[in-house]
Amino acid sequence: MKLVDRFTLWFLGVTLLIIPINSFITYMSIKSEIDKAAVERLKHVNQRVAQVLNKGEEPGEYTQGCRIKVVPVTETKPADYYEITDRDVTHDPDLKDNDRKITVTSWHTIHQQHYKITSGDYVTRSEQILAGLRISIVSKLIILIALVVLTARLASRIVLAPFYSTLKKLQHFNLKAKKRLTLRATKTKEFSELNTYVSKMTDKAVDDYISLKEFAENASHELQTPLAIIRSKLELLSESDIRGEQAVLISDMQNSVDKLTHINRSLVLLSRLENNEYEALEEVSLSKYTKDAMGSFADLITLKGLHLEYKIAGDVDVKLHSALVDILLNNLISNAIRHNIPNGRIEVTLDRDCLRITNTGLPPTGNPEEMFQRFKKGTQCNHSAGIGLSIVKQICDANSFKIRYQFASGLHMVTIAFTAGHNSSKLLQNDERSLHEKIQL
Amino acid sequence: MKVLLIEDNVELASSISEFLAREGYICEVSYNIRDAQDRLVSFQYDCVLLDIMLPDGNGLDILSFMRMERIQSSTLILSAKNSLDDKVIGLEEGADDYLTKPFHLPELHARLRAIYRRKKLNGSNIIAFNEISLDIDTLEARVNGILLDMTRKEFDLLLYFIVNKNRVLSRQSIAAHLWGDYTDNLANFDFVYQHVKNIRKKISAANGTDYIGTVYGLGYKFNTSKQ
Repeated sequence: MKLVDRFTLWFLGVTLLIIPINSFITYMSIKSEIDKAAVERLKHVNQRVAQVLNKGEEPGEYTQGCRIKVVPVTETKPADYYEITDRDVTHDPDLKDNDRKITVTSWHTIHQQHYKITSGDYVTRSEQILAGLRISIVSKLIILIALVVLTARLASRIVLAPFYSTLKKLQHFNLKAKKRLTLRATKTKEFSELNTYVSKMTDKAVDDYISLKEFAENASHELQTPLAIIRSKLELLSESDIRGEQAVLISDMQNSVDKLTHINRSLVLLSRLENNEYEALEEVSLSKYTKDAMGSFADLITLKGLHLEYKIAGDVDVKLHSALVDILLNNLISNAIRHNIPNGRIEVTLDRDCLRITNTGLPPTGNPEEMFQRFKKGTQCNHSAGIGLSIVKQICDANSFKIRYQFASGLHMVTIAFTAGHNSSKLLQNDERSLHEKIQL
Repeated sequence: MKVLLIEDNVELASSISEFLAREGYICEVSYNIRDAQDRLVSFQYDCVLLDIMLPDGNGLDILSFMRMERIQSSTLILSAKNSLDDKVIGLEEGADDYLTKPFHLPELHARLRAIYRRKKLNGSNIIAFNEISLDIDTLEARVNGILLDMTRKEFDLLLYFIVNKNRVLSRQSIAAHLWGDYTDNLANFDFVYQHVKNIRKKISAANGTDYIGTVYGLGYKFNTSKQ
């Protein structure tokens, strides 16, 4: 439910609650004012009648348009005592309508004679007041609801504009772009507070992201030289006069340095990919690269006793940096070789839409969803750092390729679909469209 | 071959120069750009090994300096920053090759040899050792004149052995040479073993001497003293 609808409903609810109460108060106050005025007038009439009597004249049946009755009585009542009655009377049976009559009785002593003076008048009946109120209330309600419904959207569009603008900016916010958010200034206190907090949060996220990136990059670069020193010293050491057990120690160290080097290089590559440093400028012939890769891996495949089948369409061009093509293919094919079984198979298919690499192998032990995460290994294999598929995934992401991994009936299948079109890697790319539709007013 | 090594890290520079000295190179070291420029204008070098990040500037500046001064030495960039831009700029500025740290010393030697070979344009592109001869252009390997049926990788490996003869070549170094840096540790040393085994078999089949021996725990060595 939209914010504006919530407010509208709330407002209408309050209105519906208030109107009966308000009408009741109006009705009561009008009625009491009318009665009070009538009583006051009748009291005045009684006074006039008393004055007339005082002058020794006989008052007529009507004084000041009110019917009066003067009755001599034996006892009297205090001067300020009035007896007030009101009743509905049927004046004219044909009219089928009642009138309300108010009578005021007072006692006067004139020339030692006590009189009871009663005067009466017809006043507006409560039904008539109600009928009048009903019309005004209904028309008031209709106008109110119509105006609220009609103007709420317009008003919310104006009033909530800063909010929607912030929301939209947030939606398009991309941490990887390393750009701070600039939010529209607003005079509404809540929105201005919201903007302040949102800016603070995103600025902090951007700063942290940048420093994290810089740290990862610097650390990786700084590690290269010490690694080069260790490696070169080990190589020099291995050429010196050493015994067998020392050779084994050196070899173990070389292995570890190698692994360290590899991980480090891969991390540097990953951070470069994330920084979009390898922007695809022109199309490369994936067919040619794939064929070359087949050639360079043919030895390994034969050595491992695997059977290779490939079907490569001749005219597949993709927009991808040439350095990445090699890395992509090498990682995928070497994975297919490494995680294979004796006498297994590798199938490589390339057509205009996708590149598919299928290989026999043991079922993955981990969750296939996590296959593309760093340092997650599907099978225990000590020769691998578990970063190859993560690199592949990053390359695909950076170039808007879709990568999918499946395992079925003893076959691992990695499919990369080349989707033509936009080349962006937004954080919220998937949610963006649906969100966008929702906040459209 | 006379080499100028421009590298600010003393430790690494000493390793490299020691290694190159054993190969019979004359290796001089500069630790910064100014000293390197002085040496470059004063002496003649066959090859310059150039680090990119130097205390007093970017090593790439040396390349433009050399061009300005018309210094004809070959250049090989050694960089800790395996940034593609540096590589592209370096090669565009006239560097002959690019090697990312940490590299294997035998790999550096192989690259230096390759640059040197390319430089001597009129020289033959045949590398020969005793009965073995390798044609770099046609990728043909012959033993006693008999053409061996070798794959590309086997040819590369044999060349790597001959260039680095009498040196211990670790399996890691061989794997990196054959499959590059980025393959996720294909180092699976079985492959190295298989390749070496195949080369030995093929050379022996052509009645060649089996120069390649295993060094216990470490790797392999192309032993010229074998008869």
